[in-house]
Amino acid sequence: MTETDSEVRENISAEPTKAFFVDMLVRDIPLEQAVLDLVDNCVDGAKRLASKTERPYEGCYVEITIDQKQFRIQDNCGGFDIETAREYAFRFGRPAGAKATAHSIGQFGVGMKRALFKFGRHFNVQSATPEESWAVDVNVEEWEAESGWNFPWSEFNSDKISTDDPGTDIKVTNLRPEVALKFGTTFFVNSIIGLIKSKHRQFISDGLQISVNSTRIDATNIYLLVGDGFAPGTDILEFPSDDGAPVVAKIIVGVGPSSPKEAGWNVICNGRVILEADRRPVTGWGLLEEEAGRTLIPSFHNQFARFRGIVSFDSDDSSRIPWNTTKTDVDQDSIVWRKTFQRMLEMMRPVIDFLNELDADIDENTREKSALLDFVTKATPRRPESFLIKATFQAPARGSIVKGPKMVKIQYSRTVDDVDFLQDALGLGSAKAVGEACFDIVLKRQRD
Amino acid sequence: MTASFRKIDYSLRPAKYAERKMLVDVFRRLTPFQPIEDYNYVGFGSVWFSDFILFHKTLGIKDMVSIEQSDSSRDRFEENRPFQIRIEFANSSVALPRLDWTKRTITWLDYDDTLVTPMLQDVRAIASRAVSGSVLAVSVQCMKAKALIEYHEENDPSKASAIERFRQTFGRERVPDGAQDDDLAGWRYGALCRKILVTEIEQALSDRNTSPETAIQFLPICEIEYQDDARMTTIVGIFVSPEEMNRYESCSFSRIDFIPADNKAIRIEMPKLTVRELRKIEQQLPNLDGRELALGSIPASDAEKFCRMYRYFPNFSVMEA
Repeated sequence: MTETDSEVRENISAEPTKAFFVDMLVRDIPLEQAVLDLVDNCVDGAKRLASKTERPYEGCYVEITIDQKQFRIQDNCGGFDIETAREYAFRFGRPAGAKATAHSIGQFGVGMKRALFKFGRHFNVQSATPEESWAVDVNVEEWEAESGWNFPWSEFNSDKISTDDPGTDIKVTNLRPEVALKFGTTFFVNSIIGLIKSKHRQFISDGLQISVNSTRIDATNIYLLVGDGFAPGTDILEFPSDDGAPVVAKIIVGVGPSSPKEAGWNVICNGRVILEADRRPVTGWGLLEEEAGRTLIPSFHNQFARFRGIVSFDSDDSSRIPWNTTKTDVDQDSIVWRKTFQRMLEMMRPVIDFLNELDADIDENTREKSALLDFVTKATPRRPESFLIKATFQAPARGSIVKGPKMVKIQYSRTVDDVDFLQDALGLGSAKAVGEACFDIVLKRQRD
Repeated sequence: MTASFRKIDYSLRPAKYAERKMLVDVFRRLTPFQPIEDYNYVGFGSVWFSDFILFHKTLGIKDMVSIEQSDSSRDRFEENRPFQIRIEFANSSVALPRLDWTKRTITWLDYDDTLVTPMLQDVRAIASRAVSGSVLAVSVQCMKAKALIEYHEENDPSKASAIERFRQTFGRERVPDGAQDDDLAGWRYGALCRKILVTEIEQALSDRNTSPETAIQFLPICEIEYQDDARMTTIVGIFVSPEEMNRYESCSFSRIDFIPADNKAIRIEMPKLTVRELRKIEQQLPNLDGRELALGSIPASDAEKFCRMYRYFPNFSVMEA
């Protein structure tokens, strides 16, 4: 018998080397998102403990320490048991039939491992539930060299958690060089604080306490303006499933305080913010109607700085939610997304029209004299949670609100020297003020 | 950025004068890296070139470049140029990247205006190039942030708060989470600007460095606050590679007597004293054994300000008929 005989030849092994696998795994996730993935795990813990009160996560905390030497995340969110650790937490991918947290945000079964490998070459995970406690300690260098895909149990010795204070304590040391350099900067720490503030804002305002390097984070909020005959549009779409939990999509569009960086669409999946103030074609901005060649929705421009759109998807079966695995974007191929997106486009049009009207009114009458701007400015800001029933966007038509006499705008140029001279002589702060003062002075003289 | 040389006579600003002289004493200590006269100097000389004149005369620095963005009065700058100073007529964001950064350089970005994002770009350009032993000083005006001025002017409560506007301009990565509106005026604003500048330098270094073992660090030397007409603040620091850390330590910047022990900012305050009073105090200085000074009618607070940094104050005399 020789190897030329295909019947007896030894099979080709395609088993991946662990080093290759780890390298591929960590490649497609930005460092910031990997940190957020670990926070998501804590949030899922908190969801299992959640009370049915107004602030369901009250009492739960997550503490993160980031510096050039180590990464540590520790929570008191219930921990997970030995079975969960063995059957799924440390497995790559979720085995069929694994039990899952309802309404979870960490559903892909890669988040924690990917983050740990991404950060460093040594990690230690400890967890305690009311019944049991355990620890896993991995030196990645050694683990990659061994055959087999097992992670070794180790001695539980956390100073922060115990069966009396259940929770999880994760430490990564021997950081990768590029990670250590980033973790050492204020810039990175601030950006993590900023991301948690917005991406986990719903959980924070529901009572979850998150701190990074001892800075406690409070949530940012979105506000929509409401007044007499002025209210956001709201719609609720349901996507039932034959064999699983339904998905509920809630869309709210309206007008908020003027703030270019907050304007756009916010997409929230099971409470986790996926897109924040998004202004790409993915959420409709700058979308062309292909055949007619005309713009369906204009590209974002500062005159839309008051646009606020919020879409939240909720489902007990998180695999049906239209997000990508890194939770950084929507899954544009998902049916749930495509149907919701269609409705988003329809609902943003009247808001865009209103903001164009508002812009025209300001242009014609100046900021000081625009009746429509005055109306919008006096409206009351409200949180999106307060809009619960379907409604169409309502806003006053231009001209329906009157304020003061009709205005016209004057524009002219003069030499800088002359304007500076007058600005100084009249004790004014800007060229605009000089122009207005000159007009007022001449007008008074002519009238008197 | 406005052409401030039309408004201010640089040579008459006493606190600025003191700051320049303090910087001379900081730079003197760089000798463990190399003779100070072999350093390059990059600055904004304007038409006065006060810093250039001082650093050339007292430190012997020869290779000097002044960046001048105003192109319209080119002749005037050339005519006022003392010594062999090279003038780069360009915006600093254009000029800085094209300079030679392979030699140890002292750079002083002495801006007249409040912090704006192009300044951060300048700081990055230097931090991503400077070799170990190079010094970077940055001065910005810190009366009131533009975001706060606009917020007050518009007086529109429906719009974002001043710190929110500021954060939108600079990005949440640069502005600490706890910052509030009152961090946008006065010395608190100065402290915030310094923090933002250092954050930017660190960030540029983390992009440039490849591993913690070989990472070039930016080590702050001192921070200065002073006021002639507008409130100004300055950060001064040095780029050091791990293998030159012992040279850095030999510089012993911490021994400089005008740097407060607790790493607080140096506040330059001009004492209001007559020439006769100055003389009287000066005769008793330096006060090495900490005796109580014979002050007579001289206000103690002014005397104290004077004693703290008398070596750096200018001497004024008035010519009277």
